[in-house]
Amino acid sequence: MSDQDLVVETVRDLLAAHEPFVLTPERPWDEALWQALVETGLTGVGISEEAGGSGGELADAVAVVRTLAAGAAAVPVAEQLLVAGPALTAAGLAVPSWDVPVTVAVAPSVTATADGAGYRLTGTAAGVAWTGVAAQVAVLAGSGDDLVLALVDTAGLPAPVAANLAGEPRGTLTFDATPAAGAALTAEQADAVRARYALARAVQLAAALEQVLAWTVQYAGERVQFGRPLAKFQAIQMELAEMAGEVTAVTALTDAAVQALDRDEGVVLAAAAAKVRAGAAVEVVARLAHQVHGAIGFTQEYRLHHLTRRCWSWRDEAGSELVWSRLLGAGLVAGGSGEDLWIRLTRVV
Amino acid sequence: MSGASLTLDPAPRSEAAEAVRLEVREFLAAELAAGSFSPHVDTWLSGVDPAFSHKLGERGWLGMTWPKEYGGHERTAMERYAVTEELLAAGAPVAAHWIADRQSGPNLLRYGTEAQRAEILPKIAAGECFFVIGMSEPDSGSDLASIRTKATRDANGDWVVSGAKVWTSNAHHSHYAIVLVRTSPADRDSRHAGMSQLLIDLSLPGIAINPIRILDGGHHFNEVVFDDVIVPGDMLLGEEGAGWHQVTAELAFERSGPERFLSTYPLVAEFGRRAADTQDPAQLAALGRLSARLLALRQLSLRIAAALDRGELPNIPAALVKDVGTTFEADVIDEIRRVTDVPASLDSPDPLGRALAEAQLHAPGYTLRGGTNEILRGIVARGLGLR
Repeated sequence: MSDQDLVVETVRDLLAAHEPFVLTPERPWDEALWQALVETGLTGVGISEEAGGSGGELADAVAVVRTLAAGAAAVPVAEQLLVAGPALTAAGLAVPSWDVPVTVAVAPSVTATADGAGYRLTGTAAGVAWTGVAAQVAVLAGSGDDLVLALVDTAGLPAPVAANLAGEPRGTLTFDATPAAGAALTAEQADAVRARYALARAVQLAAALEQVLAWTVQYAGERVQFGRPLAKFQAIQMELAEMAGEVTAVTALTDAAVQALDRDEGVVLAAAAAKVRAGAAVEVVARLAHQVHGAIGFTQEYRLHHLTRRCWSWRDEAGSELVWSRLLGAGLVAGGSGEDLWIRLTRVV
Repeated sequence: MSGASLTLDPAPRSEAAEAVRLEVREFLAAELAAGSFSPHVDTWLSGVDPAFSHKLGERGWLGMTWPKEYGGHERTAMERYAVTEELLAAGAPVAAHWIADRQSGPNLLRYGTEAQRAEILPKIAAGECFFVIGMSEPDSGSDLASIRTKATRDANGDWVVSGAKVWTSNAHHSHYAIVLVRTSPADRDSRHAGMSQLLIDLSLPGIAINPIRILDGGHHFNEVVFDDVIVPGDMLLGEEGAGWHQVTAELAFERSGPERFLSTYPLVAEFGRRAADTQDPAQLAALGRLSARLLALRQLSLRIAAALDRGELPNIPAALVKDVGTTFEADVIDEIRRVTDVPASLDSPDPLGRALAEAQLHAPGYTLRGGTNEILRGIVARGLGLR
């Protein structure tokens, strides 16, 4: 059993006691599950002990995120473990505690102005994950021609209610000379933050799509119509096989992109490819999953929507397929006549 | 995932594969510069050039994974993957040796007699001996077990073969066929019994090779007719009656390689040049979408190569990759058409127009050859535990 298997087992045990529920403005996240994760040290996995985390490898953090995503867990763990945590740590910004959620906002239109040892932020950041839930936010802000990673305490910031298709909070943060700790980033470092965010969503999508397939296969085996399980109908088998092809492709590419990140290689194009591939798979997998499930999958009482609604939103978040496919295409032919496309492709992952 | 038989472990990094990849790139650049070939779409079907195959043999890039005693090079499937992938991406003429190197050689290695191996494998590895697949028949396509070509023993212990095989790619350039035949009458209760594989020298009397032209007018396919052909008794391949089992193993090699997603890569390359010139955002996005799909397929295909190196025969993942990969090969055309305005024509002055035409006229074949996607999805469904 690998370290990751142990991590997965621990998270699954916690999930068993914390079933997904329909998120509402009154109950926008699973605070009890978060506390359980804090108590087991899982909110600091992959973050060094010197930085206040629990230590462990990137692979451990990815295992936590994958397992929680497959369980439709309403906690800001992907943002904290895969994006904000590593980015803040790398920038040398101290986070007082990983026991309260830290989210991330990519908002270069927010202006960071140097102020003494820190910065003051002004502007708005839209579509910020876990507004109203996260106690701190790592903001990728602009500062003239440069970029700054700033850490802001969200207490006292207005956070109007807004949610994605799954009810996960995705609000707008408005900064008005808000004081923040911060560090200047190079363009490469800033790109890496964006790429990490996209890869985090790809990891979540891969896990969720895999679970959607498993649920759909299970349902097709149990649901009997015309005297036999749906799974015995060739038309249904073709649909499930198509779903499996998509899921397997997403998983393989996401795994490869995570490994590229682990090797500390240039990860922007790898993350772009993983995000685009995962987003494209949602179209097929979610559609066919609902088709096979029939009307029950279209209801709030049945579990399927906990993942399909998240998938429909996660594909848009941290950069849509359009944003990342354009960046990937441009990156693959940059500065050349396209002669080197194959060589560049084989270097991506 | 439910159906663990669908998933494979990630492929380890292979320094040896990356090293040989660079050697192949250097070789291809020199060949292109010397004008020895021009890139085309789907060259593993249509690019027959025995001299080019011979050059690959000289460099040790055929029979790469086979034992040295049979002319092989005892290299890994990952190294072979890198070589085949580079050749396909360059649109190089690899059709002459493709089947022999990919599946006939491994089939001989697995099931052949010592004499068969010693005689034939070194010639394949040298790029001097080419093979054709003898599976489909006029009345047997996806339902391969319904074949009727039969072989009976005569008084001398030789086989007398009669019947016809179709879609035999490049039979007219090949030396041997591995032919699936009935050696016992069909049994309703055991459809897969009574079949065997014969190794047939295509120069034997009684064999007629008739061309079947595909949509672009190209002659790759043939009908191979066996009119009471006397095949020496020692040319049985493997075990009498085990033909179905052997064919299934052969299909793992037939279905798992990068030619199942790179057949139209030369079109992608041409489109990449166009997008680089125009910097049109819609074209760049289309290139990005296609690249993301291609990169995922590459990872899947690499995993299969790694599984082959572990001695596995990953039939079910290979079926899955071929389904997803060949769908991609055809989708390439549609994605590019949506963001360019170049009429497809083999006579186009625009290389993109020519590549689109080549890809389009070959497109119906991608999702048929080597097992239709419907058959492949049936295999995947079995992997999911549905059958």
